[in-house]
Amino acid sequence: MQSIEPDELESFENNAPLENSIMSVARLSKTYGRIRALEKVSLSIRPGEILGLIGPNGAGKTTLFECVAGLEPADEGAVLFGTSGANGRHRSSTLFYVPDGIAPWPDQPVRWVLEFSLGYFGGRQSSYSAVVDDLALAPLMRVPVGALSKGQRKRVLLALGLLAPQPVLLIDEPFEGLDLRQSRDAVIALRRHLTPDRTFFLSIHQIAAAAKICDRFLLLSEGRVVEEGNLEDLTVLAGERLRREPSDFEEVFLALT
Amino acid sequence: MVSSRSWWVMFALMGPLVGVSFINAVRSYAEASGQGGTAAALSDTLFPLDGVVAPTFSAYEIAASFLLPFVAIRAVAGDRQSGALKLELQQGMPPIAMIGAKGFVLLLAWLLAGLPIALAGVFWVSYGGSLYPPELMSLLIGHVLNAGVVIALAAAAASLSEHPSTAAILVLTFTVGTWVLSFVAAFQGGIWEQIASYTPSEMLQAFRRGLIRLDLIIAGLIFIAAGFVLAAIWMRLGAPLRRKAVESIAVLTVSAILLIGASFVRPNWDVSENQRNSFSESQTAILSSIRTPLRIQAHLAPEDPRRFDLEQQTLSKLRRTMPDVTVAYVSQTSTGLFEQANANYGEIRYDLGGKKAVSQITTPRGVLDTIYELAGVPLPQEGSASQPGHPLVAEPRGAFSLFYIVWPLAAFSLALFFQRRRLT
Repeated sequence: MQSIEPDELESFENNAPLENSIMSVARLSKTYGRIRALEKVSLSIRPGEILGLIGPNGAGKTTLFECVAGLEPADEGAVLFGTSGANGRHRSSTLFYVPDGIAPWPDQPVRWVLEFSLGYFGGRQSSYSAVVDDLALAPLMRVPVGALSKGQRKRVLLALGLLAPQPVLLIDEPFEGLDLRQSRDAVIALRRHLTPDRTFFLSIHQIAAAAKICDRFLLLSEGRVVEEGNLEDLTVLAGERLRREPSDFEEVFLALT
Repeated sequence: MVSSRSWWVMFALMGPLVGVSFINAVRSYAEASGQGGTAAALSDTLFPLDGVVAPTFSAYEIAASFLLPFVAIRAVAGDRQSGALKLELQQGMPPIAMIGAKGFVLLLAWLLAGLPIALAGVFWVSYGGSLYPPELMSLLIGHVLNAGVVIALAAAAASLSEHPSTAAILVLTFTVGTWVLSFVAAFQGGIWEQIASYTPSEMLQAFRRGLIRLDLIIAGLIFIAAGFVLAAIWMRLGAPLRRKAVESIAVLTVSAILLIGASFVRPNWDVSENQRNSFSESQTAILSSIRTPLRIQAHLAPEDPRRFDLEQQTLSKLRRTMPDVTVAYVSQTSTGLFEQANANYGEIRYDLGGKKAVSQITTPRGVLDTIYELAGVPLPQEGSASQPGHPLVAEPRGAFSLFYIVWPLAAFSLALFFQRRRLT
């Protein structure tokens, strides 16, 4: 990934305001062969907010998260933490990324996985009981991760994220596999564990859930940031395009992507 | 490791594997020691290293070739496959530290799986057999190095490939490839022989004879380091492919240079009880005092049994003893069958600082006499006393039930115990 000086960020297209941002992404691009997965994506994240990355399947949400987390090499662009470029140390101390669809340490019971992550990542020990309660993990503590259902595994992954010590938490599809009640409980749990020094960046394709939890939205389509703003901003933009007031957030999303 | 099913399978199988090697070795040793009327002269030359200890340890080698790679691949590739690696890498720990820690745990687990060998040793001593600790140390060094190479190779393969089955194929290809190389070396000799001497199975041969060679230890450590560094390079999911490829080529190049350097390292220690890798003290004293360069040209084909005897009984010892000796084998065919009519075939030509001699004798006595004659030194007075062997006629009592029944059952019970403990 190319490094970019912080003052160069001013000239970037689609660049969000940088004041008080805890993390910024500047002109991030990624191709897989001939497929352009990300096209000069720029964004910034403020402390204490929940930023939703919204986009249809194949929009590049997971690719963006993996590039930001340093798990996938970007072709160009930069990730900045405050005013510093992303090196391994900055990245590991600032953000934690919870991928979708993984079953980490499948032979180990949930209790082991949570306690191991507390020790290995230096996690939030004081939040342990609350996270276990909020995500209803107590009955699962003795079950190996590999034996959990998709929804149960997702709750364990959310717990891993919430226990992580880093201030920026990226979660890919936090509500995937959860039923309506579980999604609602997960929204409550995420909100409960959001502190002023903590930021959640969530990739979501369930529009209704996104509308309930996110403070701000970043709409991604075909690897590009097409719009960015809070619900009111996006509703106005969608209204201008539709030439009428959109009925719900789903219509906003469809109008803008 | 106690949560790894593949390790428990290996742990359980080690009992029967060691058992079959140990029981057969004890029975064969008893027969060679006089059971059934073997000549007394043969039994006097018997040592447990050849008859029992090395064959029992061979179970370790089989397990290292066919079981350990799968345990190591599962330990490394499992995290990649389950997605745990994506979480682990975010901790900020350098990948080399992560893979090094896994390698260390795997090596400890490997040593633990060797417990049946220790039990076989206890049985052997209880039968009245003798063990020579320096020989055990030599074997242990060889097998630990071999296991280290296998683990490092498996780790590299697991990091390189997307799927564990691909990694398993890569490791098995490497193992079979080294066997093919040894086979080709046996036919072709020359540079192939030199390269093949650094394959894991050939490296083990020296340690099996009670010879600790520093060059082999260094070569083994280079292989291990290269394997782990390659694994660490390919473990970094966020690094571009081109960068990984360039770094891998650099690692392989540096390793190759270091290996060539290691091949010039000479220090070695004959720790065998009967000093089988060395000449007698009086001969060693005379040979090591001959400073004139000695060139030997042996016209013997790789498959000619005389060449094997000459190499094993004399030339390998000569290289360890004389300060400047060069040996070159000359042959036009691999078997030598059609070279017999050639007038030069079978000749061993000596050149000691310009003084030349030709002989066809391949025995140690014949070779040394020729060298003494060329050097103009008197023949040493050889005492007749040589290290007596340790013949033993014994039945492998209790070994069958322990290795074939008790061990697998105990391993299975322990696996269940740890499984239950983990989940409660």
